[in-house]
Amino acid sequence: MRRRKRKRVKVKLSLMAKREERWAWLFIAAPFLGFMFFMAYPIIFALIASMSRWTGLNSLWGNMAGLRNYKEILSDTKFWRAMGTTIIYMIGIPIGMILGLTLAMGLNRLNKSRRVFMTMYYVPVVSSLVAVSILWAWVFNYDYGLLNSIYKALTGSHGPNWLGDETMIKISMIIFMTWKGLGGSIILYLAGLQSIPKDYYEAAMIDGANAWEKFKAITFPLISPVTFYILITSLIGGFQVFVEVQVMAANGGPNYSAATVVFYLYDKAFKNGQLGYGSAVAVILAIIIFIITALNFYGQNRWVKTID
Amino acid sequence: MKKRLLVLSSVLMLTAAMNGCGNIATVEETEGSTVTTGGTESGAVAASNSGTSTDALTGNGDKTIKVFLYMQEHEKEIYRGLVEQFVADHADEIKEVKFEITTQDEYNQKMIANMTAGDLPDVFYVGPAAVRSYVDNGYVLPLDSYVDSATIEKTWGTTQTIYRYDGKNIGTGSLYALPKDLSCFAFAYNQDLFDAAGLEYPDPEKPYTYDEFIEVCEKLTIDKDGDGEIDQWGVANADQFGMTPYLYSNGVKFLNDDMTKVNVANNPAMERALTFYTDLTLNGLTPSVDQDTALGGYQRWLDGQIGFYACGTWDVAAFMDPNTFPYKWNLCGWPVGPDGDGRSHTWMGSVGYCISKNTENPDLCAELIALLSTSEEGQKAVSGITTGNSIQLPNIVDLAYGEFKTAVADGTVPYASNVDVIFGYFDSNDHYAAALQETDYTYNGEWFDPFWQGVSNIKRGNITVQDFLQQVEPEMQTALDNAIELQNSATN
Repeated sequence: MRRRKRKRVKVKLSLMAKREERWAWLFIAAPFLGFMFFMAYPIIFALIASMSRWTGLNSLWGNMAGLRNYKEILSDTKFWRAMGTTIIYMIGIPIGMILGLTLAMGLNRLNKSRRVFMTMYYVPVVSSLVAVSILWAWVFNYDYGLLNSIYKALTGSHGPNWLGDETMIKISMIIFMTWKGLGGSIILYLAGLQSIPKDYYEAAMIDGANAWEKFKAITFPLISPVTFYILITSLIGGFQVFVEVQVMAANGGPNYSAATVVFYLYDKAFKNGQLGYGSAVAVILAIIIFIITALNFYGQNRWVKTID
Repeated sequence: MKKRLLVLSSVLMLTAAMNGCGNIATVEETEGSTVTTGGTESGAVAASNSGTSTDALTGNGDKTIKVFLYMQEHEKEIYRGLVEQFVADHADEIKEVKFEITTQDEYNQKMIANMTAGDLPDVFYVGPAAVRSYVDNGYVLPLDSYVDSATIEKTWGTTQTIYRYDGKNIGTGSLYALPKDLSCFAFAYNQDLFDAAGLEYPDPEKPYTYDEFIEVCEKLTIDKDGDGEIDQWGVANADQFGMTPYLYSNGVKFLNDDMTKVNVANNPAMERALTFYTDLTLNGLTPSVDQDTALGGYQRWLDGQIGFYACGTWDVAAFMDPNTFPYKWNLCGWPVGPDGDGRSHTWMGSVGYCISKNTENPDLCAELIALLSTSEEGQKAVSGITTGNSIQLPNIVDLAYGEFKTAVADGTVPYASNVDVIFGYFDSNDHYAAALQETDYTYNGEWFDPFWQGVSNIKRGNITVQDFLQQVEPEMQTALDNAIELQNSATN
């Protein structure tokens, strides 16, 4: 059977429509050009640089090295150590989510004082990361810190060296990051909780459900999109931790025990002038984030529910 | 549709991730730490005290010169005055001198950006470590035909050689920069603590031996308030910068002569020197590693808890300020080990003014850097002879030994009276000697990181000196090999 040739219909736009279309292109042009210059170009450049021994001083094209940087990273113990530390810090993500949800549920029951508490918990989120990092470095100080002063007052003995011990510095960073991100989780969970229709709880109450059953069957599933959002953004943020390490653990802490992947990247690229190698670390990090994010999206159908 | 959404979301996430990585330079720019002995060892990160400022100084001519440097505010005033004078003297030639000043933290990143963009300023800094790379990549102009030999011969011997490069070795060949300054890491003692302990002050003509130093430190290490805990120590050391003078003073070198092999394991002089250094902490003559993380040696020194502490030439002004350091103090030499040449050794530092190879005005630029580096008037101002505020020691040797020393002696310039200790290090005499750090001769200092970062494990008693040296050498060698390869890649 012969396929009938489709005839393209030419739509003649009115003058006004043409003018509107031109404006539309103009509106799109600014963010599009912004994306091309400030996102697409740097990403492509980073990819190319990652395959070179570029130092910033020498020629990028004259020092192309194929996949050598990537091969070296695979056997770079310092990189994997930093990666391990970065992942350990992510223990703070579920802790922060559980605490955030618990506090949000508490705040959801308050009426008058809710805003006061919300503001209190949200202050760290809007505070300068550098400022609060310096503050917490003093809180964790071995001799003069708030924590060890309380510890000494209670026990009579000296507290741990929070920032000077390989294990304690990781715990300190997790405590700090959990505290810093808690306000954001609370606000998001609170919004999620308030969007759940009350009818569901009333119906469950008539059916004789207890508090745990209501949480398990109504609250948790219906705030799962919020949980998903917090999880994804926290994971991405978790892989990019840098400032707090730079401030609280100069030189990466004792035996580099506090260094994260981005801290290592910075060390390599900007302290030791290995911009090609640093770019390769950035690309690997981006790929890891991409895979984890994709896996999360892939698995979301199994546990993320919506009211519809 | 769902697949498309997944792909779109993932691409956005990837972009966000790359963006996050790309932003770190900006983060550092706004929060960089200051490189002072106190700042680095205390672990505190000081906020960058300013951003970048640009002054346009104009004349009636048609030539434009762009100067890009880093310096502190009070230095900038003096150097800006010199540039103003230069513009006035050449008003018929110069249209404008753009005098751009930034912080030390931001400088390197901005220079890399300038190099990558092919937009170098006419006059900028180069450190001794970067001369080779800058020359090999064609960024800097040889000064031989623009600066007469009398100008450079006025300066310290070290600064006459460290900016020379013959295409293979540093120290010989064409001259590529004039010194902005020369500094060194000397040693200081708190006279008030010596008086309280009834001890004689260190002899500036005869640095302590290792044994004599321990003896004095033991007498200075005491429990002042009688609560059972030591609260005054003989000495405090910052591993990154304050360890090497002890080692150098025992004849130690980390690398072989051509800087290609690490030589720390199976090196008896290194083992003895490092044992001496770490025993100071293990025997309680310095604050412990834990105490050091709580409050760094620099702060403890300022608080009068420490007998001896390192004193960079850049620290002198702070130590002379009674509001910062309300104690009497003076300079002395680092202790001398048994395996060295009997002299006290330390490291020096310098940064130099160089000229872009692409400048359109090489003669004017050369005149300008000669003025900034060796103008007698300028050197009198920065050394404090005419201003009473010493930012650096004079680059001109005769001025240093002449008017500067007189001004120190009569109190015009507030400075430690044993300034000859520093001059001794600069000039290498019978008692003192100094050199650039070995990291200044390699592409980067990454090979030294595992050494100084790992020393705290010895100080904690977690590993012996011998085991540490055996363990750390391969890691240092790998990083050094990498640095050599990067250095060689400069000409590709």
